[in-house]
Amino acid sequence: MFGTTRALDGIDLDVPAGSVFGFLGPNGAGKSTALNILAGLSRPTAGSARIFGHDVTTTPDAVRALIGYLPDVPGFYGWMTGAELLRFSGELFGLRGRELDERVVALIDLAGLTGVETLVGGYSRGMRQRLGMAQALINAPRLLLLDEPTSALDPIGRKNVLDMIAALAGRTTIFFSTHILADVQRVCDRVAILDRGRVVIEAPIDALLERAGPRDLRLELGSPEDAATLAAAVVGSDWLVERRLEGTQLVLTVTDLDAALRAVPGLVSGRGLLLRRLEPVEASLEQVFVDLIGEDGR
Amino acid sequence: MSAFGVLLRKELSEIRRTWRIWVLPAILLFIAVTSPILAEITPELVRSLASDQPGVVIELPDPAPLDSYRQLVSQLSQIGLLALIITTAGIVSAEVRSGTAILVLTKPVSRRAFVLAKVVAQLILLAAATVLAALVCWAGTLAIFGEAPAGELVAAAGLWLLVAAGFVCLMTLFSTLVTAQAGAAGAGIAAYFVLSILAGWGPAQRWTPAGVFHATSAVIDGARPELAGPILTTLVLGALAVAAAVRRLDRAELAARARAT
Repeated sequence: MFGTTRALDGIDLDVPAGSVFGFLGPNGAGKSTALNILAGLSRPTAGSARIFGHDVTTTPDAVRALIGYLPDVPGFYGWMTGAELLRFSGELFGLRGRELDERVVALIDLAGLTGVETLVGGYSRGMRQRLGMAQALINAPRLLLLDEPTSALDPIGRKNVLDMIAALAGRTTIFFSTHILADVQRVCDRVAILDRGRVVIEAPIDALLERAGPRDLRLELGSPEDAATLAAAVVGSDWLVERRLEGTQLVLTVTDLDAALRAVPGLVSGRGLLLRRLEPVEASLEQVFVDLIGEDGR
Repeated sequence: MSAFGVLLRKELSEIRRTWRIWVLPAILLFIAVTSPILAEITPELVRSLASDQPGVVIELPDPAPLDSYRQLVSQLSQIGLLALIITTAGIVSAEVRSGTAILVLTKPVSRRAFVLAKVVAQLILLAAATVLAALVCWAGTLAIFGEAPAGELVAAAGLWLLVAAGFVCLMTLFSTLVTAQAGAAGAGIAAYFVLSILAGWGPAQRWTPAGVFHATSAVIDGARPELAGPILTTLVLGALAVAAAVRRLDRAELAARARAT
């Protein structure tokens, strides 16, 4: 509870082992609150949270031994090198000797920081986030909790972090909060959408995209007349929902993309029209998100 | 090595590799170096000032080795303690603010170990700096005055160290109660003035840390006050302050930097 507001309400998520699970929601939905509770940084005012059967409040050490955690803006000791920070993190998990040495080398490599001798205080934001990922992996966690890991990064930093997540897919279970839908669509295989502290939907990402309903078929014809002719020709097709004519462009909203793709070339060639481009527009998570949460985001 | 051991080693490395190695030890050393010199030249300075005023005659005894120790304790009890209060005002809160506490406390590490490692490291730094300062002052006194009795210096420095250790514990508590470092420093300075006032009041001298504070200078003058009560209360209050700091941090939400989304 934050004052009289219920920050989280009856969340129950089943995160398959090895999956990259996207935890989506608009700002203020409760994503970070949920992650803070799971990481043992906050206590729920009521109820409980469990990871691998361990209660995060009553057995925090058992939970922390199994997880890795990266906050959205991680704080580091600026006077350490990246390798020193990983070594320190590993020692807190009880790792020692050769095992620790090997993990530090492997994770520095995974983070793209091999050969970087600069103190962490001199790292760029992208380097810090990659180091943050590496420290979260030092104990080979069964579950990696990432709180908006790309939200503060530039496009290159974001790509690097997403590449790291993609490289870990299948090896570690990743629970990843974000409001950047493109990131989720790129790396996640299962998604939960949170709104006002409640999970409004949880499903594999493909199933969610199916919910997007009609998709668009974008065509560019040789002339506005050709576009108008084709627009008239598609009327009555059972797959057609809507058509929009914009000069030489014709956008068809369709219920069955495959049926439309089979029919349109025949209509074009049968009328001697010039088709310059035909582009199916994939359904996006953004459509699903807006449908579920609303245009205003809250 | 336990998590506490790992954290203590990190704290000591941090002291060694950052500004922290320079501030408190440097201030204490400066005081130690200047105390014998000031003790030697102060009477001469006063006499020369007085000679400029017609009709004014000031009789001052010749400086002695114990004057050097009086200077040391006087400055340690003012500048030294205030510097200690300011430098330890963020002992816990600085890590909470910077997010490094989250880095550590999402590992299998208790918040108690986190706080205790900081306190112990700070006490090690303080003790080392105090011993070094006392040695330097003793050597300076011997060089200038030709003699330097050790007993009074050891007693005074030891009692000052106990008062300073009490302030480290108190500042640890304040830095978990007040997020802003300046706020914690203000609370510590207020506590310092309260202690200074209590040090002049007899009943407080017998039963509170004010007695230890008062005794730091009194032992140089040959006084041997009964210190069992003040030492005991200083140790107990210091331990209680650290315990309260641990309890406070244990209940604190550490996600201050994270947006509440």
